[in-house]
Amino acid sequence: MTAAAAAGSGPALEVTGLDVRYGPVHAVRDASLTVQAGQVVALIGETGSGKSSLALAAARLLPPAAAVTGRVAIAGTVVSELGGSEFRRTRARLVGCIAQDAMAALNPVVPVGRQVGELFAVHRGASRAEAAQAAVAALAAVEITSPAAVARLYPHQLSGGMRQRVMIAMAVALAPPLIVADEPTTALDVSTQAEILALIGDLRTRMRAGFLWITHDMGVVAELADWAAVMYAGRIVEQGPVQEIFDAPAHPYTEGLLATRRDLRSGPAGTPLFQIPGSPAAPGEVGAGCAFAPRCARASPVCASDDPALDPLGGGPDGLHLAACHHPAASPGAAVRAVPR
Amino acid sequence: MARAVIRRVVFGVIAVFGVIVLSFLLEFVVPGDPARAIAPRAQNLAVLANIRRQLHLNQPLAVQFASYLGNLLRGNLGTSYIQRQSVASVIGPGLKFTAALALAGVVAEVLLGGGLGLLATLFPRVRALVSAVNLTLLAIPIFVLGLLLLLAFGYGLHLAPVAGGAGPAQIVLPALTLGLIGAPWYAQIVADQMQESIASSYVRTAVSKGLSDGYILRRHVLRNVLSPAITMIGLDLGSYLSGVVTVEVVFAWPGIGLTAVDALQNLDRPVVMGTVIVGAVAVVFFNLVADLVRMLVDPRTREEA
Repeated sequence: MTAAAAAGSGPALEVTGLDVRYGPVHAVRDASLTVQAGQVVALIGETGSGKSSLALAAARLLPPAAAVTGRVAIAGTVVSELGGSEFRRTRARLVGCIAQDAMAALNPVVPVGRQVGELFAVHRGASRAEAAQAAVAALAAVEITSPAAVARLYPHQLSGGMRQRVMIAMAVALAPPLIVADEPTTALDVSTQAEILALIGDLRTRMRAGFLWITHDMGVVAELADWAAVMYAGRIVEQGPVQEIFDAPAHPYTEGLLATRRDLRSGPAGTPLFQIPGSPAAPGEVGAGCAFAPRCARASPVCASDDPALDPLGGGPDGLHLAACHHPAASPGAAVRAVPR
Repeated sequence: MARAVIRRVVFGVIAVFGVIVLSFLLEFVVPGDPARAIAPRAQNLAVLANIRRQLHLNQPLAVQFASYLGNLLRGNLGTSYIQRQSVASVIGPGLKFTAALALAGVVAEVLLGGGLGLLATLFPRVRALVSAVNLTLLAIPIFVLGLLLLLAFGYGLHLAPVAGGAGPAQIVLPALTLGLIGAPWYAQIVADQMQESIASSYVRTAVSKGLSDGYILRRHVLRNVLSPAITMIGLDLGSYLSGVVTVEVVFAWPGIGLTAVDALQNLDRPVVMGTVIVGAVAVVFFNLVADLVRMLVDPRTREEA
């Protein structure tokens, strides 16, 4: 089965029961997530929460040392069942990747035009001249002015925003149904960040691609994402439509994340910022119960013994809001008020 | 880029001048009388004084240096005390042989070292073996290795000529000696750079683009490995051209190194100076060439320059 034949059938990304282990460390536990075509799904969590491992596993970019189990389907193609070389030949048509640090993610000694063009040469059999031409067109498509001149430059000769545009041009070059973006705007200054976000919003509507977007910037989530999944200690602890998550966070960890932001916006001057007490659990040292229990104000004996399942809450317009908590919030912000500052 | 070249040439000229001054001074610090070396059996002091006068050795050091420098600027390296012919014609033939050996040696060490480095990177199972080979080669003195090769390939297997002449067949063993001695350094550089490159973010990008391993290696990894290796090739070419005495002695290779040793023993100052200048110019020149080639290969070095 070729990817092209299967493309278009099914959601952009469907991850089911994904586990990632690095030796004894269980980095991602039983993660299931769907990205629909044209949708931006934000993957939120602290460093070490497993969000990068999940995203890289979806794109099959983890190093060989990582043991990955579970099912990953991209636009109907079950990539988790494809052989290595079979996946390699189709991957650029299935999933594009945008890295956080474009300076490091571009080869320093190869002109950027050739780095974009080799996609067409390798996957479309384009000649040297055709590939160069297609590269210039791809650079123009991400709104780079004078793309023919930029194509001849090396990464270090470009600004941060331009480098990120080149990354995006490579990711979308073969119009894949899925784009995995790992904090693509974190390293940029605020105005460049806004430009890149606008470009991606534009590409999303034009290409109808699904985006899996790793971030810890709640502002970006609110602005761009349709859906949000919150990760803690390797698990997705809450997911649902962004509006739903923002208005009625059910998991105390999500509440905490949002409270941090709410304080910044509306808290009176001089109020200390809200902090989730304790420090994040490392994925390796999670016991039988809920990983968040030691830091949670609502924890009860059951939290220490049973890890809660990721269950529907029944709320929201489409009833798809899920949370893994024995004591989900009844009303927005309930837990936050209970947590001592 | 042009400014970078000019700056390097200027620094190079200063370096060569420094070497000339230092070695000229050193020659006069070293005890010994060239006149006695020329006429070892002369009993008559007047004969020796006459020789000294002919060689201008009775003039003050500064005057001798000024006249040497003046000749040098006119392209005249002087006349050999012993052989009574121009230094250029004494050094010339040996220089050709040394150049051939230096080139063959660098080719050998790049091939051997690069091969070892590639092996160690691409096949983790042989990594320990490669390190052991590297360490062994580093530990062996160059003349021991040369003699071992002579014994094994020359006397034992009769694969290579042992002595006689300096042709393409005779260059194999000395070049192999240089290659084996230099290989560990290249192996180390290649292995380190490749491992760094393979672990890099840009190689992950290349993987995400669905490029094959071979393509990634050729187009994305190797170019990033070249730069430091080029610098080292430049250094080696320069230093080998100033004579690889040990190898030339072991294999009776008629290079500039042997000429230099003979001249030193005979206090043949103009010839010694000639070999020193050739070596200094070679080092400066090949460093410059290496820098220029690096600028071609690695665009980042163009702006630094």
